[in-house]
Amino acid sequence: MEEEIDNRKINNSFLRDHNYATEADIISTVEFNSTGELLATGDKGGRVVVFQREQESKNQPHRRGEYNVYSTFQSHEPEFDYLKSLEIEEKINKIRWLPQQNAAYFLLSTNDKTVKLWKISERDKRPEGYNLKDEDGRIRDPSTITSLRVPVLRPMDLMVEATPRRVFSNGHTYHINSISVNSDYETYMSTDDLRINLWHLEITNRSFNIVDIKPTNMEELTEVITAAEFHPHQCNTFVYSSSKGSIRLCDMRSAALCDNHSKFFEEPEDPSNRSFFSEIISSISDVKFSHSGRYLMTRDYLTVKVWDLNMESKPLETYQVHDYLRSKLCSLYENDCIFDKFECVWNGSDSVIMTGSYNNFFRMFDRNTKRDVTLEASRENSKPRAILKPRKVCVGGKRRKDEISVDSLDFSKKILHTTWHPSENIIAVAATNNLYIFQDKVN
Amino acid sequence: MEYKVEAHRIMSISLGKIYNSRVQRGGIKLHKNLLVSLVLRSARQVYLSDYYSGVCLNTQHVEAKEWELMDSNQEKPLTPAPEESLSPSTDCNQNPVVPEDPEVQHTSQAVEDSTDLHSVYSKHQAEEESSSEDSTTDVSLTSSPVTCESQCEAKGAEVSSSDCEADANPATVTEGNSQQPPKAHSCSNRKRTAEKTASNDSPVKRTKVTSSNSSEEEAEEMDTGNVSNLITIFGSSFSGLLTKESSEPEAETEDSDSGSGQICCDQMLKNLNPWSTAIVAF
Repeated sequence: MEEEIDNRKINNSFLRDHNYATEADIISTVEFNSTGELLATGDKGGRVVVFQREQESKNQPHRRGEYNVYSTFQSHEPEFDYLKSLEIEEKINKIRWLPQQNAAYFLLSTNDKTVKLWKISERDKRPEGYNLKDEDGRIRDPSTITSLRVPVLRPMDLMVEATPRRVFSNGHTYHINSISVNSDYETYMSTDDLRINLWHLEITNRSFNIVDIKPTNMEELTEVITAAEFHPHQCNTFVYSSSKGSIRLCDMRSAALCDNHSKFFEEPEDPSNRSFFSEIISSISDVKFSHSGRYLMTRDYLTVKVWDLNMESKPLETYQVHDYLRSKLCSLYENDCIFDKFECVWNGSDSVIMTGSYNNFFRMFDRNTKRDVTLEASRENSKPRAILKPRKVCVGGKRRKDEISVDSLDFSKKILHTTWHPSENIIAVAATNNLYIFQDKVN
Repeated sequence: MEYKVEAHRIMSISLGKIYNSRVQRGGIKLHKNLLVSLVLRSARQVYLSDYYSGVCLNTQHVEAKEWELMDSNQEKPLTPAPEESLSPSTDCNQNPVVPEDPEVQHTSQAVEDSTDLHSVYSKHQAEEESSSEDSTTDVSLTSSPVTCESQCEAKGAEVSSSDCEADANPATVTEGNSQQPPKAHSCSNRKRTAEKTASNDSPVKRTKVTSSNSSEEEAEEMDTGNVSNLITIFGSSFSGLLTKESSEPEAETEDSDSGSGQICCDQMLKNLNPWSTAIVAF
């Protein structure tokens, strides 16, 4: 893996128009589609930007399929719930692609309350030669029409248009934190803090509640659902993680309401690490199945854990992402950083896992060689086509030349969202309002 | 002692966060507030347990200590400022909730509400609490330290059978805390001494401080009413977790309100508006 990382280059650094970071430009989700041809990003302003990979051309062999903007559209607008006097943020929480079945692309995007199915299609031909209207669209005077002709399709500049095909609204009382498309390609689930709903992609006026952990007395609330995902192959299986650090695997065949889990994954807490903030740092921020469907990965504040679906008592592997923060939990609580929800991602072969950290650092762990690396996504430290240099955080004692001490980490620069190409070594990393795409040089 | 200071600081920060979550765009985030309330609870436990280790050693000085801490807590400002000194004050009747409002009316209201907050904290509602509410109302009108002391004592006693652990009550506890951080401390202090006091003392205190009612059923009803009223109050002014996130608790509070027709509840409802103003000011 070391060689792989040394050869990693920066492919592109896509910047927004502004030099300053407006809050609306902060990227809130990134996701490759199932082939890796498209990359979608959602931001706090409710916009979705889709990038498409260039076809490799013989003329420019060194430009190995760079990603260019393909489509931009406003997915969600800010709304106001008049009954509760609450503003509903337009921030895109998650984007999930549907597998491609025809020439158009479909994705699901969600904010706190509403899921939308968007169709992204190309138009490169248009009909010309209408009888009743001229090329501008104005209606022709019928008296001037002397002959009949059939409109023909003529090529035009490529236009990519996004249209909302379905709007799944009024399904959730609480804030939606994740969506997951089922392997049956017909249903998907949306998850909020206390409930999980199952939708059919064609039906917007009805959904089925499959998990409900809301207590009858809200005063007895002790945990919330933080993430959920369908199994990649078994359409009846899904998992959901909780704020208490547990994961439940449910089988939809067992009951209509899956409040009783089939498997319960939890690691007993280490009593020596107990502090005021033990509960917060054990809250799971992301859960992802491996591509094989055999393993599960969870991210809590300080660690990433890989679980074997067959072993519920403890994780298979635990990786420390930034354990040097353990002594700084109080400060991180004060500045709200302890509530940051980091995502984690598998590579295509499930051999490497990646997650983000602070100071625009992100970490990769090779499960086979047990080696790990810390990389930085920033313009200052990397030029296009330059090889990424591994970074190191100095924990204590003498600081070496290239190391960064814990105290000089910039906690406002956090990498929460990352995604990995399904088959190649291309990663997309969102650093606040910038998107970085890194690609492996080795062909 | 360091732990106590640290715990107190964390409690202040947590309350500040809960308050700020009200004004955040996008509504209150249930997950974050739940985590904050858990931290608040942990900090409170440490705060209490720390006090316990000191108090258990010398039972005779319980009242004196209680008095001291009550003073020091009540002189703290409302805003969640970082570490405040624990120097005792002489005036027990300083209104801890609305420092800028010297009206006795508010004082009594604040004291009432603090007792209600108290009941929110403890899962096991005892009649002492409800009865002591009235007693404190009477007491707080005077400014005699001696009276205050007895009031503190009474409050301490009333919780003798209550559970310190606000088990599985993060939301309401949170709401209560957000309103009145110093009250939280005074409640904690009262609770501490209450737990310290042997349970066989409670019947004595019960009869001593009862005013509006003495029956257990009534008291329990009232306690439920207190809790639900708190929810109503917090819901209207705090836009708290319960009432904003779901409509069910609101329905519950309405039901309880109709069920309980106790004096304290009425008084609280009457004084709702000034209290809300105070909270908004906070």
